[in-house]
Amino acid sequence: MLIGLDVGGTYTDAVLMDDRRVVKKMKVPTQNENLLNSLLAALDPLLDAVEEVQDDELDRIVLSTTLITNLIATKQVDATALVIIPGPGLNPQLYDYRVPDTFLLSGAIDFRGREIWGIDEQEIKACAQKIQESGIMRVAVVGKFSQRNNKHEKLVASYLQENIPGLTVAMGHQITGRLNFPRRVYTTLLTLATQHRFDTFYSEVRELLEQRGIAAPLYILKADGGTLSFSSSVLKPVETIFSGPAASTLGALALTPKGKTSVVVDIGGTTTDLALILSGEPLLASKGACIDEMLTHVRAFATSSAAVGGDSCLMVEDGILQIMPYREGPAYCMGGPSPTPTDAMRALDLVEIGEERQAVRAMEMLGKELGMAPQQTAKLVLEKTVQRIVAEIEAMFISWEQEPAYRIWEMEQRKKIRPQNLVGIGAASPALLPLLGEEMGCSALIPADADVANAIGAALAKVNLRLTFHFDTDRKFYSIEENGVQEKLKGVSSLADAESFSLTRLQEEGNKMGIPGQEEPELVYSELFNMVRGWRTEGRLIDVCVQFPTGILEFQEGGVR
Amino acid sequence: MAQKTGVVFFPAFDWAISPTHPEREERLLYTRDQLFEEGIMDLPQLIEYKPRIATHKDIARAHFCVPDIQTQITNAHLIAVGGTLVLADALMDKQIANGFAMVRPPGHHAMRVAHGNRGFCNINNEAIMIEYLRQNYDIKKIAIVDTDVHHGDGTQDIFYHDPDVLFISFHQDGRTLFPGTGFCDELGGPNAFGMTLNVPMMPNTTDEGIHYILDNLVLPILDDFKPDLVVNSAGQDNHYSDPLANMRFTAQGYAKLNEKLAPDLAVLEGGYAIETALPYLNTGIILAMAGLDYSWVREPDYRPENFRETQEHKDYIKGVVDYLWGVWNDREQLGEQQYPREGEFIESTRQVYYDTDSIREQQKESVRLCDNCPGYQVIDSRGMYPDGQTKSIKAVALHPRACSTCQEEARALYERMKINLQGADVISFQDKPADRYYQLSDRGDVEISDEHLVTE
Repeated sequence: MLIGLDVGGTYTDAVLMDDRRVVKKMKVPTQNENLLNSLLAALDPLLDAVEEVQDDELDRIVLSTTLITNLIATKQVDATALVIIPGPGLNPQLYDYRVPDTFLLSGAIDFRGREIWGIDEQEIKACAQKIQESGIMRVAVVGKFSQRNNKHEKLVASYLQENIPGLTVAMGHQITGRLNFPRRVYTTLLTLATQHRFDTFYSEVRELLEQRGIAAPLYILKADGGTLSFSSSVLKPVETIFSGPAASTLGALALTPKGKTSVVVDIGGTTTDLALILSGEPLLASKGACIDEMLTHVRAFATSSAAVGGDSCLMVEDGILQIMPYREGPAYCMGGPSPTPTDAMRALDLVEIGEERQAVRAMEMLGKELGMAPQQTAKLVLEKTVQRIVAEIEAMFISWEQEPAYRIWEMEQRKKIRPQNLVGIGAASPALLPLLGEEMGCSALIPADADVANAIGAALAKVNLRLTFHFDTDRKFYSIEENGVQEKLKGVSSLADAESFSLTRLQEEGNKMGIPGQEEPELVYSELFNMVRGWRTEGRLIDVCVQFPTGILEFQEGGVR
Repeated sequence: MAQKTGVVFFPAFDWAISPTHPEREERLLYTRDQLFEEGIMDLPQLIEYKPRIATHKDIARAHFCVPDIQTQITNAHLIAVGGTLVLADALMDKQIANGFAMVRPPGHHAMRVAHGNRGFCNINNEAIMIEYLRQNYDIKKIAIVDTDVHHGDGTQDIFYHDPDVLFISFHQDGRTLFPGTGFCDELGGPNAFGMTLNVPMMPNTTDEGIHYILDNLVLPILDDFKPDLVVNSAGQDNHYSDPLANMRFTAQGYAKLNEKLAPDLAVLEGGYAIETALPYLNTGIILAMAGLDYSWVREPDYRPENFRETQEHKDYIKGVVDYLWGVWNDREQLGEQQYPREGEFIESTRQVYYDTDSIREQQKESVRLCDNCPGYQVIDSRGMYPDGQTKSIKAVALHPRACSTCQEEARALYERMKINLQGADVISFQDKPADRYYQLSDRGDVEISDEHLVTE
């Protein structure tokens, strides 16, 4: 049996699943100041249910949590100093990392990993002294192109650690090797700033589970929809940010037919959240997660939001119906102060919540200003609501189509596609989704248990692993973006060598993470460049990306209502 | 909101002329690494666009391809051109303040008649972009400044008879470098005298030399001409480390050039120091175009003291600049002296060599002299191919602003040529006032349309 838990901003959802069947589900309000309490309130009844089942035990618990989001939003993060080695290029002041204690060191590595300028030891010394004076005990050390050569980062880190006892240092190349120095800086900073508190949370959860005698392994959901053992996640806690939307998307994936192109539509109070599933694969954000208005290297699902939901305030301005981006309270039919799309749905008998008379009254109020009958007004409200969501969906597809392409085949392949399904989760979905489907000419699916789709997504998420290799046969070294490995290269000279080397390494790492042996590794892409110097090929640069993909455990009979 | 700088980056990582050719997959690889590692596209002052696949009609506005467009191009060419068109649209739509198309393959050696590849170019990205802009937007006067180390002979050829397009190229002296043209006496045809200006520079000229030309010739002429649009044909092979040329420009020099020139659109041309120059030059140009600080951009081995201009170069450049400034100011009078307007046509013949494809071309060009408009040209070209075959084309190019008499004449001429081929393999017509393009060959009598014809 599996347990999935999603501690969201408003509600904490949890499910106990027996293979594909939801045995028990829970929904409790989240107490943001005490996430542990919310977690237990949802978890304990499920654990009781596990007890009641004979001949079966709990295989794992997967947690998705807003902890990191909350920590960052409420600025409960630890003070961190920043040491950067930017080398030639952009003036580093073009990026504001919002770190008062930022130190700049000379020294530079180029794109091939060659040292251009050495590090000045006097500068490190002066920098160490200032950090010590500031009393800050966390330092991020990040160099441009450190993923191609970590020499400078290591030099600086070890000097600082030797001279400032008890100092915690994170180096950029350990956090991520993807190209983009500013995002690497910011991701490294966030990692350091949240690590300690995340670690505390982790210990508390473990202790509570131990108290309850739970031996099942604990996993955490990442923003890219993969699960990671809780103990490993402590290394890069920031990857668990935005796991909520990932959980919902995976839940939708689990509850709908395989291999299809779908839009996940989560209609909430004042927003409608959207995610795309393209031919069965959730679309990732091309630029990495944007946290606190800064881009990072955190892989996350592409999400978008239309400023309309069931509780959106409706107004008439200059004879035109307007959907406002805020709520003034619940729907009028539920005792709220102003008309909302929920009232329109109630007035047209599409939902059963609230007082019908009040809903009609709300439409009358609006209709009077528009010169329309209540029923007509309600239809107009829903038409506008649907239009706004459709426009946002269309914009998402267009933005996906317009992502830059750097190869001829990418230009030729990226055809215009549109969804086959809309998958509705969230309270207002059953009423609105059929209208949306009609407008877009695709099927509207409201899966059973859609109210806890996020917890189902968490429960069923697979452990994923992606490794991106960069081989330089001329400099005889290779590096791995995701785990900071930089080693000497032996026995790889062709593309085929590089691919098989990468796949073998993936299998090894996968084994360590407990990815089952029968899982098929995937070659995501591979690309070779001959380095021609003076009309002769002197070496090769090879990039290979392999993965155990994001996905869901077997789940075939998910009922679709 | 402040206007952004638009960027199209299309490195064509899956396209090469041949595996070890300078125009190969690897060319913009290190530029990619540098730009991406800088996170330059994340800056709020920049916006990255995806290129699009240009149409055959886009190409037909600038070229007569032999035997047809399909034979002269690959999809890489259509995408490189498409990248410039995306930025052109974004500029005219006021989404961006200016734009830089970092695309390959390059184009500025591709002439109006295209028998094959010359100087790594099959079709001319800038020329196609300019014709597209003229046909689709209210743009009349355009200035092209070619900053590649090689003479932009293709662009010069396409606009040689066009009084609406000013073409200025500074480059390494043609006696020491491909394509061997671009001298001070190439000044434009009888309908556009003084609208082509060439500044040949001695090998080893530095930033100081080029900025003298910029400050004392290019910028004053642009001030005087007042173009609706300035295009930088932005080759990067004037760099001191370029393996195919012998100049001494630096990343700082290039960035400053773009800051001063402030082109509306820049299009990458040559530049083959793929590790030592391009990553830094492209970063510098983008920053300069976006109005950002580029003072941190420099090559790893850059030492300012190594880049001092010699007195000999300074004297030489001043002489050329003074001469061309004189030509510019007296261009009407000098044009009448050069091309006495006797009769309806002025004829000339010449040879063109295609280095990449080893093709020799003989071309006869008749320029219609008209007192009311820029007229039209009749071209008779024969290409001699390395396998011993020859192919010939006869073509008529009608200027977008041609008067009704010239329009009628040119259309009638094309119809007559179609009846009497006189041995030509291809007959072609650019009817630019109508924005329609035609070709007759053994592949049929066709109008070249906007429908994509995707090559295999």
